Amino acid sequence: MFCGIDLGSRSVKLVIMDQEGVNRSEIFETVQFYRNYGQPGKNGLIVDFASVGVGEFDKVVATGYGRNTINIVGATVIAELKAHVIGAMWQTGLNNFTLLDLGGQDSKVIKVRKGKMVDFATNDKCAASTGRYLENMATVLGISLAELSSYKENPVELSATCAIFGESELIGRIVEGYSVPELAAGVNYTIFKRIKPMLHSLASEVIVFTGGVALGKAIGQTISSELGVEVVVPKYPQLNGAIGCGVYSWEKRG
Amino acid sequence: MANIGITTTVPVEIILAAENVPVDLNNVFITDKEANRLVEGAEDAGYPRNICGWIKGLYSVVVERGNIDTVLAVTQGDCSNTHALMETLQLVGVETIPFAYPFDRDYDLLKLQMDKLITALKTDWEQVMAVKKRLDGVRSKIAEMDRLTWQENLVSGWDNHLFQVSCSDFNGNVNEFEQDIDQFLLKTKSANEFTEDIRLGYIGVPPIFNDLYSHFEKMGARVVFNEVQRQFAMPYQVEDLVEQYRLYTYPYGVFQRIEDIKGEIEKRNLDGIVHYVQSFCFRQIEDMIFREKLDIPILTIEGDKPGKLDARTKLRMDSFLEMLR
Ligand code: SF4
Repeated sequence: MFCGIDLGSRSVKLVIMDQEGVNRSEIFETVQFYRNYGQPGKNGLIVDFASVGVGEFDKVVATGYGRNTINIVGATVIAELKAHVIGAMWQTGLNNFTLLDLGGQDSKVIKVRKGKMVDFATNDKCAASTGRYLENMATVLGISLAELSSYKENPVELSATCAIFGESELIGRIVEGYSVPELAAGVNYTIFKRIKPMLHSLASEVIVFTGGVALGKAIGQTISSELGVEVVVPKYPQLNGAIGCGVYSWEKRG
Repeated sequence: MANIGITTTVPVEIILAAENVPVDLNNVFITDKEANRLVEGAEDAGYPRNICGWIKGLYSVVVERGNIDTVLAVTQGDCSNTHALMETLQLVGVETIPFAYPFDRDYDLLKLQMDKLITALKTDWEQVMAVKKRLDGVRSKIAEMDRLTWQENLVSGWDNHLFQVSCSDFNGNVNEFEQDIDQFLLKTKSANEFTEDIRLGYIGVPPIFNDLYSHFEKMGARVVFNEVQRQFAMPYQVEDLVEQYRLYTYPYGVFQRIEDIKGEIEKRNLDGIVHYVQSFCFRQIEDMIFREKLDIPILTIEGDKPGKLDARTKLRMDSFLEMLR
């Protein structure tokens, strides 16, 4: 059994897996994870895997924001984009595609050809197309994230240049009398608008969509219909990076 | 002898011929221990948040450091923000002289700009050409340092950057600068060869980050081509001074720069290009042209305030190198 960990900026994803598939998985809030299971050591972060309680494994491979700042003692660390590419290839069996990963704070678009990353783009200083934005908007609308991400018809026009200012813009639209489904569809559509230029410059016929945001249906469907591409959401979209780490344990491929 | 602040590379020969001291305000700003505070100082004075950090730094250097007598500002061929920079400096009583690179590289217009500068600084062509001869010697040493970087792998990307970028004002003292490069070249003779496996080119304005080069080296890559910095050092030796500043690519259109870059990609055997862009800079738009015209992997990184690289940028650098391997 191998352990893959993806230390994201908002959540830590952990999988225990082998060639057969994912055996166990856990998602922790990042700060909680460090507080409950981590301890700063001389050579990096010491994770108390016994108390994480995921059972036995032979090897740990980690990725995420930790790569340059945090070192997990005893773990092999691989580059984040690489982990995501390996995870997406293993989960879908595809070799030529564009990977779109929308996480808590980050958006990544990676072009993959013949199983190799050939170009990529990431969001820089803005979280407007990420899970955090969706969470804020769901709170403003008073609905769950799952419900929010299901609407796509008649989207309200929103500019949403910022994950925080998006709130006041949305409130303005509520006052104008739009329905919740229209507002929610508008929120989903702004995500599409933000990532569209990146998908354009790194285009493929197939888009593998991962990250927490991929759990909702509407955005994927909008990408597919507006860009005329096939959108594939693998079985574990949120765990994709962690799975890539696990797969790396036995494949060691670059 | 007056201290003449410059906002980018200008015909420095004229400043030196007039026995003035050229001071590249960019270099003063970026090496200041409190570079970040200089940016904030300009913001306190009323500079908008969404304006390039370099311009704000230059403003504060002149206003706060107080040893600049006149500012020679390039109003065409560098940055339109420089117009407003000049105006805000005039507002606080600083004397400014404008200089414009003609967009179409027109020889006569460029010569006219030089003539006017010669008159303004009260010197003549004869003295200017004498300085040019003197600088040709120093510039050829810088060109040798550059060759040692890419051909013999004996000079780091950072040193290459630093020496070339300093050629805008020769650190205000040509003799001392020449001694520095002489000593450096001597030391380099016995240096160990760099062995990093990935060879990068750096294009775009000089970085506002101070650890970009060292981070690449830490990750096993090295910069063996600094585009704009090399242009500041004017590597092509020509007799005619006007021609020299016509060959200089930076102040004119992007396509001439692309020709220069293409040649160096081949010659220096580059694996990838790092395009540095400054937040809020108009040159960011040109990124799409580079991506279209250069057939080599490009990583675009953006800097805002002076200081160290942020975690996101490191992540992108890291992934880029991973991609090239
Ligand atoms: S970085 Fe761009 S905006 Fe800033 S001074 Fe230079 S050209 Fe102007």
